[in-house]
Amino acid sequence: MGALEFGFMQRALVACTVIAAAAPLVGCFIVQRRQSLIGDGMGHMAFAGVGLAFLVGLNPLVGALALTIVAALALVRLSRAGVGGDLSLALIFYGGIAAGFLFSARSGGGQNQILSLLFGSPLNLGWDQVGAVTALAAAVVLVVTVLYPQLVALAFDEAAARAAGVPTQGLVLALTVLVALVVVGGMSSIGLLLISAMMVVPVATAAQVTSSYRATLWLASAIGAVSAVAGLLIAFYANAPTGAAIVLLALGGYCATALIRLGVRSLRPVVRRSRRVAVR
Amino acid sequence: MSHPPPADPVALEFDQVTFGYGPVPVLREVSLQIGQGTFVALVGANGSGKTTLMRLGLGLLRPTQGAVRLFGADASRFRERWRVGYVPQRASAVTSLPVSVTEVVRTGLAGQLRPGRRFTRQHRERLEHVLDLMGLDDMRRRRLGELSGGQQQRALIARALVTEPRLLVLDEPTTGVDAEARTVLRESLEHLVKVEGISVVYVSHDPEGFAGLADRVIEVRAAQVVCVDPISLEPVGGTA
Repeated sequence: MGALEFGFMQRALVACTVIAAAAPLVGCFIVQRRQSLIGDGMGHMAFAGVGLAFLVGLNPLVGALALTIVAALALVRLSRAGVGGDLSLALIFYGGIAAGFLFSARSGGGQNQILSLLFGSPLNLGWDQVGAVTALAAAVVLVVTVLYPQLVALAFDEAAARAAGVPTQGLVLALTVLVALVVVGGMSSIGLLLISAMMVVPVATAAQVTSSYRATLWLASAIGAVSAVAGLLIAFYANAPTGAAIVLLALGGYCATALIRLGVRSLRPVVRRSRRVAVR
Repeated sequence: MSHPPPADPVALEFDQVTFGYGPVPVLREVSLQIGQGTFVALVGANGSGKTTLMRLGLGLLRPTQGAVRLFGADASRFRERWRVGYVPQRASAVTSLPVSVTEVVRTGLAGQLRPGRRFTRQHRERLEHVLDLMGLDDMRRRRLGELSGGQQQRALIARALVTEPRLLVLDEPTTGVDAEARTVLRESLEHLVKVEGISVVYVSHDPEGFAGLADRVIEVRAAQVVCVDPISLEPVGGTA
């Protein structure tokens, strides 16, 4: 019996693939803006949101979404107040992890439940949760598509974009909220601590072989989706944790691409030399 | 893209502008007018405030006192952004990800698009025109990072020109650019001022880049602006 004949695998496949394909679409902009770790900060804040939701008896998704959006607003405010990007991120990061642990401890939330959110447990998802993840991923794709020219201008050169009339302050906020949506969307499938890797690693892989921003964006999205499908299947047959398998596979793709590029570069002079000899 | 001809004789005006990042003003009661179709060079030592002055002029900073006007309107609330082209220092163009020359130039048009709208045929024609004008036609698909310093600078100027601006502000455009590229840049700027009638504000500490081109050279010194001789850079009479 194939893995995909199981209902839980079908649900996991949909949830992991859609969020892993959407994450690099946001990642392209945060990597270019040198904010690759912003997803980590948001992940920790989502952890606090989940803890708070356990404490007050809310749906964890709602709690995570609420606190990550608050964190997104706080990041933008701190940045405008002159607090450096890495410092404001660190404040969110540590505040999130401490509050998350405190809320979880006070709520009596089970360790297994917390671990499943930190590292993902896509095999336990119901169709309603898959629907929520798909809706979040669709929202990300929609916003990136609608704001694509402005987001590229912002990511490439914020001062020039502002001088050209691009509403950069609103776009920075929109981008930070997009990061929050990806983190919350990936929380139950790939995990709060691992989903930010899917915003960055596929982008780094794609950037090695493309020559335009648009091509990087779409190739990174495809790499994210393929990593999710292959990682999920490997995890199923090897009885391994799914989120970790997906991220490690994506990292393997990055290393393989880098090695191939290195090999091609070192072979180039040899090929040229042998061609010259052949011509003589 | 056809824009109505500008009616204001002054492209950029500083009226008794004072600005400081802290309690000590970087600029104090600065008054300066830049007319349309003129080439003004802005010089000064590192940290003298020339980049601050330029950022005030673009409306990216607000003065503590006084007024900055772009084509007669308050610079920080100026809506017709297509009328101003800005070429920041090339260091700002260092990219983590691959970006093609066409994509870089196209970002200059992003401020003119409403969310969800696509670039029009006029936008595409304008893009073709500036790529041709700046000699970038045959390298449009290449990654910006693969180009020489001079070629990158031309791409950034093309981005600033793609909206058909009436005022072009360049910040240290010759930094890290070889001699041949400087010559190409000079010829391009000469063409823009003399043929296209664009006002140019050229911020630089290197007089070689604007020698023979600048109608006026303004030095930012001790939080004030003074007119200097274009060749000797010694102060001369007259108001800025």
